[in-house]
Amino acid sequence: MDLWPVLSKVELFEGLTPPELTDVAGICSQREYRTGQVITTQGEAGGELFVICDGFVEVVVNPSGQNPAPRTVVHLGRGQLFGEMALVDYGPRSATVKSIADHTLIQAIDRDDFNRLCEANHHLGFIVMRNMAADLSFKLRHYHLTGR
Amino acid sequence: MTAIYKVSYVVVGETHPGAILNTDHKPAVGDHITLGGREFIVLEIVDLMPARGEFHFLHATLRPTPA
Repeated sequence: MDLWPVLSKVELFEGLTPPELTDVAGICSQREYRTGQVITTQGEAGGELFVICDGFVEVVVNPSGQNPAPRTVVHLGRGQLFGEMALVDYGPRSATVKSIADHTLIQAIDRDDFNRLCEANHHLGFIVMRNMAADLSFKLRHYHLTGR
Repeated sequence: MTAIYKVSYVVVGETHPGAILNTDHKPAVGDHITLGGREFIVLEIVDLMPARGEFHFLHATLRPTPA
């Protein structure tokens, strides 16, 4: 599958050159999920970043002391990423993410492969990290707006 | 250059968690959109952040369409 047209429409990679996008495509692993399949589980270790190419996922935060019931915090669709927190801070998964559509197509990127690429090409590393920060900012703004 | 709209959808009037997704078309007030098999109507659209490259960042408020 030629990933270039897909990855070029993902904000995380906005600003990369075509050769850099080709390098990113080289470390992507495509996966497909059915409705209800769990992709990440809250509290588990995680070493991958995920980019949604098609379909939808649901992000659920499981019970804690303050929130006794599982709570769906957002649905994410085409072009969105998840798993980035564990990728950058090496912490456990902060939420459970499951597919809510059949044929949800995802590109998974391994942390070690990703770090190697960023260290080998600092322009690529800067662009992707900047875009990842912008995506986290967008999610935070969305979260704030849900409580208006 | 083809514009891509990254949209934060928030549903008012119920506990729907909202959604974030990319679309090729800029949503407009009065549009009907489907999220998770349910239909909603767009009440408001605002720019959330300045555009960067071909990416535009929008926030849309929705309410469920009457059954």
